[in-house]
Amino acid sequence: MTVPQLETRDAARLLDAVHDDRGAPAREWAAAGRPVVGYVGADTPVELVTAAGALPVRLAGRPGRDASRARTYLEGAVDPQVVNILAGLLDPGETSPDLVLITHESDASLQLFLTLRELRRTGVEALPPVHLLDLLHLPSKATARYNLGRVRRLADQMGAWRGRAIAADELEEAVEAHNRARAARAELTRRRATCLTGAECLRWYAAGTAMPPGRYADTLTEALRSVTGTPPATPRGRRLFVSGSEQDTADVYDALESRGWLVVGDDHSWGDGGHQPLLAAGGIEALTEHYTRAVLPVTGRDARRRAAIAAAGVLRSGAEVFLCYSRRYDDVHRWDFPGQRAAVGVPAALLRDQPYARADLAELAAGIGDPQKQVTS
Amino acid sequence: MSERRRLNAARDALRHQKEWFAGLRADAERGRRVALVNADAPQEILRAMDVPYVVNQWWASIISAKRMSGRYLAELRSRGLPDDVEQYSALPLAEALAPSGDDAPWGGLPRPSVVLAECTGDSMRRMFALWESELGVPFLPLESSAAESVPERWWELMRHDWEMAIGSARVDLLREELEAAVPRLEELTGGTFDRHRLARVMDLSNEQAEWNRRTRDLLARAPGCPVAVNDVIPAVMIPQWHRGTEWAVQAARSLYEEVRGEVDAGRSVVPVERRRLMWIGRGLWFDMDFYRSFEESHGAVFVWSMYLALAADAYARYGDDPLRALAARFCAFRDQMYTPPWSVEWYVKEARTHRVDGVVHLVSSDSRSSWFTTRALEAAGVPVIEIRADNADGRSLDPGELHRRVGRWIESLG
Ligand code: SF4
Ligand code: SF4
Repeated sequence: MTVPQLETRDAARLLDAVHDDRGAPAREWAAAGRPVVGYVGADTPVELVTAAGALPVRLAGRPGRDASRARTYLEGAVDPQVVNILAGLLDPGETSPDLVLITHESDASLQLFLTLRELRRTGVEALPPVHLLDLLHLPSKATARYNLGRVRRLADQMGAWRGRAIAADELEEAVEAHNRARAARAELTRRRATCLTGAECLRWYAAGTAMPPGRYADTLTEALRSVTGTPPATPRGRRLFVSGSEQDTADVYDALESRGWLVVGDDHSWGDGGHQPLLAAGGIEALTEHYTRAVLPVTGRDARRRAAIAAAGVLRSGAEVFLCYSRRYDDVHRWDFPGQRAAVGVPAALLRDQPYARADLAELAAGIGDPQKQVTS
Repeated sequence: MSERRRLNAARDALRHQKEWFAGLRADAERGRRVALVNADAPQEILRAMDVPYVVNQWWASIISAKRMSGRYLAELRSRGLPDDVEQYSALPLAEALAPSGDDAPWGGLPRPSVVLAECTGDSMRRMFALWESELGVPFLPLESSAAESVPERWWELMRHDWEMAIGSARVDLLREELEAAVPRLEELTGGTFDRHRLARVMDLSNEQAEWNRRTRDLLARAPGCPVAVNDVIPAVMIPQWHRGTEWAVQAARSLYEEVRGEVDAGRSVVPVERRRLMWIGRGLWFDMDFYRSFEESHGAVFVWSMYLALAADAYARYGDDPLRALAARFCAFRDQMYTPPWSVEWYVKEARTHRVDGVVHLVSSDSRSSWFTTRALEAAGVPVIEIRADNADGRSLDPGELHRRVGRWIESLG
C-alpha cells in the first residue's frame, strides 16, 4: 500500500485522534465500500479478518455512553467495560461494524456474545451478525486440537461471508502487515518511559487496534521520530506500573498522571501486555499456535505466571509502585494480587470494585501515599 | 391443617448421606485416598475407578448449614484473597485453609488427594489452583467450552442425539481431556480405571435419570401437587451426588413410587389448590420454609424447582462409548440452565407442562440471561415476579418484606 508521506507531528496527532474517535478509520475504510469487523478479545486472529479484505477494529467502551439499555440485557456481575461495548453496538451511530467477532477471552466476553446472539435471535434489537471464536488456553494437546478446529471454522466463515475462500497468499500478506504493526509497537514499548507519558503511550497503542495494520506501522514509526529525545510532557511523576483490568481508553491514566503519577508500564492487553511475538509463517496451524500459546488472555495465565510477568514488568520499567486496578465484577485480578504483591519487590496497592474508566485516587493515595504531596513537600 | 409429613425419600436420603460421609471419613483416616470434585465436572470417572469423592458444592452446603461460612471466608480475606467472589464454591477451600478446629462440620472434610474442576467463569481456575499452590493438593483443570450455535429444544435431543445438539468438537475435547486425566488420576488416587465399570456407571446413572423423569412427569400431570418442593430437593439431590450407584437408582425409584402413591391416593399439599407456582433460580437455602408459606394463606404451592427438572432432562446420555457419553453429559451442562436459547426455552416448556400460574424468578448478581428468561415467560403468558438477592446469603433480603411482596403478587394473579 502506498502511504502519503506523513509529517512526524501529524503522525502523532493522527494516533491521538484515532484514540479519541475510534470509528474514524473505519468510516474511511467503509466509504470505499469495504467491510469492517468489530472484535472483542486480545486473542482474536485479526489476520483472518484482514485476509478477508475487512478492517479489524477492536471494540472499546466510551466513557459517558448511556449504558442503561445494555445493562438491562447484560445484567448482573458483568464487567461494565463490556456492558459499555454492548451499549455501543446497540446504538452505533455512523460506525456500525458489518460483523462482530468475539473470543472466549473472559466470562464477560462470552456473556456479551450470548446476549448479542439472543437479541438477534429474538429480534429484540437490530444487530450485525456475530461470531464466537471459542479459543481456550489450557496447556494441553486436547485444547490445541480443539482450537485448530475453531480457527479453521472461523477461516471458513470469513471466506463464506465475503463470498470467496481465503487464499494462502492473502493470509500471508495479512500476517506480514500485522507483523509490521507488531514490530512498530515493540519499539513503542521499548521507548515509552523515556519519551511518553503512560496516557500518551496508551493512546498510541489503542490507535493500532482501529487502523489498518500497515498504515498503523508507518504512522507509529513516524510518530516515534517526533518524540526522539524529548522528555515526556509531564516530566516528573512517581513511576507506576499498572496491572489488572483492561484500560481501553486513556481516562484512568490521565487521572493518575494528573495526580503526579507516571505510568511507566502495564501488563493488560491495551498496553504493553498486548505485545505479541512476530507470527511465523505456516498458515492456519501457525496462526492457531500463536493465538493459543503466544497470546494468552489474563484468564489463560495462572497466578504464578501473572506474578512473574508483573515482577519482570516492574523491573524493566523501573516502577517504584505497583498498582492492581480491578474493575467491579472483573474480579479475576483479585485472586492474583497476593502473588503479584509478593513478587514485585516494590510497594503494591489494589484498587478494587472500580467503575468503568475511573479510579478512586483518594483510596490509592490513602493506601500508598500521594505523589503530588511528595513532589511539592 | 394437616401436619407436614416429610417424604420418606427425603428422610432416607439425608440419613444415608450422614452414614456415607462417616464411612468416607473413617476410610480416609485409614489411608484411603479421597477426591474433591466440582459439581459440573465428570464425577463418574472417579466412580469408575472406585475412588470415593466429595462434591464441592454439596460440602459447601453443609458448611453453610452449620453456619461456619463466615469464619472460613475470613481465612481467605486474611490472605488477601476474595471472599465475595464465588464464595459458595470457595467454602471447602476456605475450610481447608483455616486452622482445623473441633467444631468442623460433620468432623470436617478429609484432605483430598486431588481436586477436579471445569474452568467455568474467570475465577474457578484461580480458586482451584489455590488447592495446589497453598495446600499441595494437585488440581486437574478441564476446559469449559462454548458453542457458537445451538439447536432449540435440547431436552428432546440430549439423551440420544447429543452429538448433534452439542456438536462433536466440544464432546471430543472433553473426552480427550478425560482420557488424558485417567493415568494422572490413577497415580494420585491409587484407583484403577475400568472402562466396563464406566459403562455400568453410565447405565445406572441413565436409569436414575429415567426415574427422575417419571417423577417429574408425574408431578407435572398430577391434578394437585402432592409433595412439597423443599422435600423433593433433598430427595433428588442427594442421590445425584451418588450417581452411578445401585443405591442412587433405588433412591430415585423410591421417590417415584412414593410420589406415585401420593398421587394415587389423591393427596395434595393444599386441599384446594388455587395457584401453582414455579421457582426459577437456585434454592433459597437460608429460608426453605418460604416455599410453603403461601399454602394456608393463599392456597398457593410451589410445584417446580430446577433440581428435579434438571435431574429429569439434563443428565441422561446414551451411547456406545461410555467416555464419550460422559463427556457429552458435562461439556454443555451449564448451557442447559444458563445459556439462551437453551435455558430460556426450557423454562417456558416446564412452565407450560406444569400448568403454572406464575413464576418467582430469583435473580442473583451472578444470574445469567435473566432478562431473556423473564421476557420469554411473559411472552408465553406466564406472569413473573423477579426477586433480587443472593440465594445463599440471608443478609441480602428481608424475609418479611419478601413474603409480603410475593403475597401481594399472588393475590394479583388473575
Ligand atoms: S451410595 Fe452406594 S456406594 Fe455410595 S456410600 Fe451408599 S452404598 Fe456406598
Ligand atoms: S467388567 Fe467385570 S470387573 Fe469390570 S466393572 Fe464390569 S463386572 Fe466389574
